[in-house]
Amino acid sequence: MARITTDAVPNGLPEKAARLAVSVSWMGARVASVVALLAAWEFVARSGVVTPFQLPALSKVLERIWSDALSGDLALNTAVTLYRAMVGFIIAAVGGVVLGLAMSRSALTRWFFDPIVSIGFPMPKIAFLPVVMLWLGVFDISKITMIVFDAIFPVVAATVIAIQGVERELIWSARNMGAGERELLWQVVLPAALPTIMTGLQVALPLSLIVAVVTEMLMGGYGLGGAMMTASRFANSVGVFAGIVEIAVVGYALVKIMALTRRHLLIWHQEASEPTTA
Amino acid sequence: MPSQCAAELDRRRPLGTHVAMTASAQIVVDRVNHLYRPPRGREVLALDQVSLEVANREFVALLGPSGCGKSTLLYLIGGFLPVETGSILVDGQKVAGPGPDRGIVFQHFALFPWKTVRGNILYGLERQGMTKDEREKRAMDFIELVGLHGFEDSYPSQLSGGMKQRTAIARTLAFDPKILLMDEPFGALDAQTRGLMQIELLRIWQRTPKTVIFVTHDVQEAVFLADRVAVMSARPGRIKTIVDTKFDKNDPDIFKNKFFVEKVDEIWNLVKEEAIKAQGKRT
Amino acid sequence: MKQSLIRYLPLLLLALAWEVTARLELVSSTALPSLSDVVRSWFDMIKDGELISNGAASLYRAAAGLALSIVVGTLLGIGMAWWKPVNVIVAPIVEIFYPLPKSALIPVTVIWLGFGDGSKILLIFLGCMLPVTLGAFNGARSSEQVLVWSARSMGASRLRMLWDVVLPSAMPELLNGIRTALALSFILLVSSELIVAQKGFGYLIGFLGANGTYDAMYAVVFSVAFLGFAADRIYLLITKRALAWRE
Repeated sequence: MARITTDAVPNGLPEKAARLAVSVSWMGARVASVVALLAAWEFVARSGVVTPFQLPALSKVLERIWSDALSGDLALNTAVTLYRAMVGFIIAAVGGVVLGLAMSRSALTRWFFDPIVSIGFPMPKIAFLPVVMLWLGVFDISKITMIVFDAIFPVVAATVIAIQGVERELIWSARNMGAGERELLWQVVLPAALPTIMTGLQVALPLSLIVAVVTEMLMGGYGLGGAMMTASRFANSVGVFAGIVEIAVVGYALVKIMALTRRHLLIWHQEASEPTTA
Repeated sequence: MPSQCAAELDRRRPLGTHVAMTASAQIVVDRVNHLYRPPRGREVLALDQVSLEVANREFVALLGPSGCGKSTLLYLIGGFLPVETGSILVDGQKVAGPGPDRGIVFQHFALFPWKTVRGNILYGLERQGMTKDEREKRAMDFIELVGLHGFEDSYPSQLSGGMKQRTAIARTLAFDPKILLMDEPFGALDAQTRGLMQIELLRIWQRTPKTVIFVTHDVQEAVFLADRVAVMSARPGRIKTIVDTKFDKNDPDIFKNKFFVEKVDEIWNLVKEEAIKAQGKRT
Repeated sequence: MKQSLIRYLPLLLLALAWEVTARLELVSSTALPSLSDVVRSWFDMIKDGELISNGAASLYRAAAGLALSIVVGTLLGIGMAWWKPVNVIVAPIVEIFYPLPKSALIPVTVIWLGFGDGSKILLIFLGCMLPVTLGAFNGARSSEQVLVWSARSMGASRLRMLWDVVLPSAMPELLNGIRTALALSFILLVSSELIVAQKGFGYLIGFLGANGTYDAMYAVVFSVAFLGFAADRIYLLITKRALAWRE
């Protein structure tokens, strides 16, 4: 992960092998570190330093996850949470790009939405959840609305910056070659803006998951957040920890999928390596 | 007629009347002003009563210190900026916007990073009314011409500076513009690549002559490539003098050639004054 | 001054639209109390101290958690950038916890520390540590190689270099990480208090909502939302000083 700033290594074969060995050993160290962490968890849990209530053994937690998987509960809850998160994310993504585009092209639109975006961004928008619930009830629609409300901001901001940042000379070159307004938008502006827009989407996706989980915790019912809340109410700490692991895995998978999608779509982009500690 | 006298006569002529100095002038810039309006701060006069004529297939260099407006003039001719005062005529028609008759090459290449070398060149050919096969063949021809055979499926991010610029040149040449506008095209390259590219460009131009307007701040580059060098003053830009630099450029030792050296010297002295003025105005 | 007015005019228009919509009962008056009612109940709550006491409780939690996360996160991030072994051990942990929605830790912190301040502070500490650590790490890593070499050639010890070169270079990224943590602290604060609390903004919102006094509920919602915004702006103002040497 941390790029070792060694002195330049010449490109011969023995040097190449040496570099491969070094990177493998670092990866081995990383895996070892994770394994060590998990082992430490198990060890501390069993040692009696903390009660099984405060820190259930990793093995117990894994057992619980396994039984959830077998009973179908895991699949159900994961699907429900993912459904809400993804629907919210897609609406936020499309809506955000469209709004960002509109703001770039129309001074009136920009004037109207700019204070909303700039003030809304640092606000803990989750505070509006009770208001949303007041308007839309306690079903999926209010959860999804909350997700869209939260996730749309980074997408809009990224889109506006992306479009403003498109090099003037790219547009001029396309015009030079006879491109009309419509072609300009689809063939030049959007592709050029894509890397930055993607970054905005990469922020919006985990955000969608977080908001989905929090709304579920507040409203209960199905979903990974709801299940964890239920476990918490019954003082079932194994269930709570199982929930954390499940959500972590889902979150990790989403981030990885996003990163792979980015690498695939933006294969031509010079910053081919995404920020690795992200 | 010394160019200063001609300029004076020119200034006294009422706007709207024009007498072509050369019968076959392809590009006529007539007393153009350009006001630069920054988003914040005061307006600045970038060009002041600039007039210039370029004949068909002539290679003209626009030379001047930083900020003298030479690129601005190029963009006005290209139709990327609107002409507000004065007029610019190309083949007798007023310039109304960008178009494939005046191809442009930028200093920072302006290649579409999401397209390959081939893709970039093909983009310009799409509106030329050719069949798919014709387009593909033409693109490959130009890739060969600039010496990029084997790199047609590479992305710009995988190419060196010199290769990117060759792609940009190929892209513009491919759709066969009558006029080539070049904005310090070799400015972003290292000195050695620059030298090689200059020779390349001259070779290509000698083979398929076009009208070229070439912006640069490098005197030797201007004298080497151009038939005439238009020296511009510091901001607000005016055409200070036009020097004839047409001679045999195929001498391999041209940079030591007595005539070449004299010309460079002559022009450098003209530019030096303006460069010093430009330094002083840097705010 | 006039610029600001024009810039924020849309908000004024929205406020106007709100008041008009509510007065004309275009929407049910329970769902949308009029802006004037909301403002009135805001003043009432200030007067009877309810808003202030709950607000203080909330802000105390957020500040404590945030402060702890800044101290620990900065040390950790710079340590990771500067000493390879620290990096090897800690980095994978960071990478694992990054995609975990920190709000998922709410029930755990409750299990550990109950319904009171402790669980909130722990949650905010854990959640905010990540952006601070990342900011410190990236900032320290990016301290220009040339600067480090210059310092070393002038005989600076490793520790000295850390203080004189790395820390100042790391400041912009670190301060940015702290800014993210600041916003996150509000989010975690409100989330956890909405779900389980006995006092604080979130608790108050929930209580007022359950009670049906919606105009007061709106007042508190907007108060905390506005506080989050104000905190961010004030932070930017303060840090602009610190970053003055950087354009």
